[in-house]
Amino acid sequence: MFERLVKIICNYVEVEPENIHPESRFMEDLGFTSFDFMSMLGEIEDEFDVEVEQSEVVNIRTVQEAVDYLETLVK
Amino acid sequence: MLCSTVRQILVNTEKKYGPEDAVRYKISKNEIESKSYTQLKNDSESFSNVLKSLGELGKHISVIGMTSYEWLVTYFGTVNSGSVVVPLDVNLPAEDVCDLIARSDSTVLVYDEVRKDVAAIAKERCPQLKTMISMQQKENDDHALSFWKLLEENRGSFDYDPDPDQLCTIMFTSGTTGKSKGVMLTHRNAAENATCLEMKIPERTVIMTVLPIHHAYCLSMDILKGTSLGAVICINDSLMRVAKNIKLFKPEMILMVPLMIETMAKKLEDASLLPAKIVKSQVFGKQFHTICSGGAYLDPKYIDLFKKYDIVIQQGYGMTECSPVISVNQSWNIRSDSVGQLLPNCEAKTVDGELWVKGSSVMQGYYKMPEETAETLEDGWLKTGDLGYVDEDGFVYLTGRKKNLIITKNGENVSPEELENVLSTNRLVGEILVREKDGVIEAEIYPDQDYVKKKRIKDVRAKLQEIIDEYNKTAAPQKRIYSLIVRDKEFEKTTTRKIKRF
Repeated sequence: MFERLVKIICNYVEVEPENIHPESRFMEDLGFTSFDFMSMLGEIEDEFDVEVEQSEVVNIRTVQEAVDYLETLVK
Repeated sequence: MLCSTVRQILVNTEKKYGPEDAVRYKISKNEIESKSYTQLKNDSESFSNVLKSLGELGKHISVIGMTSYEWLVTYFGTVNSGSVVVPLDVNLPAEDVCDLIARSDSTVLVYDEVRKDVAAIAKERCPQLKTMISMQQKENDDHALSFWKLLEENRGSFDYDPDPDQLCTIMFTSGTTGKSKGVMLTHRNAAENATCLEMKIPERTVIMTVLPIHHAYCLSMDILKGTSLGAVICINDSLMRVAKNIKLFKPEMILMVPLMIETMAKKLEDASLLPAKIVKSQVFGKQFHTICSGGAYLDPKYIDLFKKYDIVIQQGYGMTECSPVISVNQSWNIRSDSVGQLLPNCEAKTVDGELWVKGSSVMQGYYKMPEETAETLEDGWLKTGDLGYVDEDGFVYLTGRKKNLIITKNGENVSPEELENVLSTNRLVGEILVREKDGVIEAEIYPDQDYVKKKRIKDVRAKLQEIIDEYNKTAAPQKRIYSLIVRDKEFEKTTTRKIKRF
């Protein structure tokens, strides 16, 4: 899950995959804008064939938190 | 055609394009439903009847929700009945929303169930609020009335011609001191802003509305201008799905803020090895041709970049206080370093470097804020707070900001002072300066050294980050702080002991 997410993250920001860690924060560390983040969630919906609930993702800050949320969806 | 009331816009278009689609929206992942201009006009007149039956004609009606057909019916039904609509930010914390409902003297709240948290506390917090209407609730109950049930019970035409100089909207915008101000706009303000300029956009253009509906820019350009052109207005259901919805609705034109344009630019550039025509077709579709950019300043390099893909970006400039458009670049006359030519209903001058504008779109003032109004309006001139000038061809150039206000790339106005005041209540925060840096809000903090010693705080930075994290949890998204600088020296001060900002 983490590796698949890293691949998607690299479509939005210019960060080398090895510099993306579970504790990396989307905005502060990886340089996401709020719209980058929303667009990425849209891509995740397609990639993982899930439906993301906007109200549940507003507080996601780190890659690990995103992985945890995704795991609850794909179960 | 120049219209001086919102009602004229809708009535004219309904006459011309009655049975044609006015609004398209998703009812499931890939399923679209539509409403015609006749349905929009009839439903909005039914809503006017609802207000009449509730005894609320001429009153202030707050509305909160994502862009939806119900939202649009509420909007047209309210303003065309001579009442005043108060569009509220769907992302604001519930307490802040209630503050605005109360301060705008709203007696009715129409709400989308996504903000049922607001509805749960609104009556208690806002003594003047008499009626709540839920956009989705099926039946009336003690708590709220059902939007659709009310409409069915109050079917029928509603003949009323609002006076152009009648108040129609109160829109809240962030002030420099943090307390948001209710911008009062009349029918003439709003309708002439949307219709005074011939932009040569073909009638029946398919547009997709992606910006928050409570923004003056979205309301004026997507909804009012769109309606005046008999456009097909497609509703994007979430910012997560812009790319997917472009494929679904196949728009020809989208109104965007710079933040979105930057993300879309990355998508275009990621595929730049392919021919431009194919890239454009993959990202936006073959039919797509125009982006209107507003809300914040867009770096002109994006205008040149999109041109390679045969997409015109028309950068404009405005502020809620001017309904909001002040200037726009016409597709056949673009100067990428300018924010466009003044609208025909607008004149401008520069006073001490600051741009002042005058014309039929300038607001009436801030609701119940006479001092702030007097500071902003002088003999009909609106002080924009922006530094700039207009050249001999009427093109507006911006050179900086006079007001201490952050304009984020998604067009939100944020008061640094408001954030500074909130965070200063924490003992560890000795001095603080909030500003915009590289598109995010940054806080620079000088910790209170006595407090650090007293509490024996070892990792000051981590502790400050905790404070910021805690603040971010409840702050509106546009007010969140994503960058922290910890100072080891006090800030430089002015003679009046204020922190020097620049």
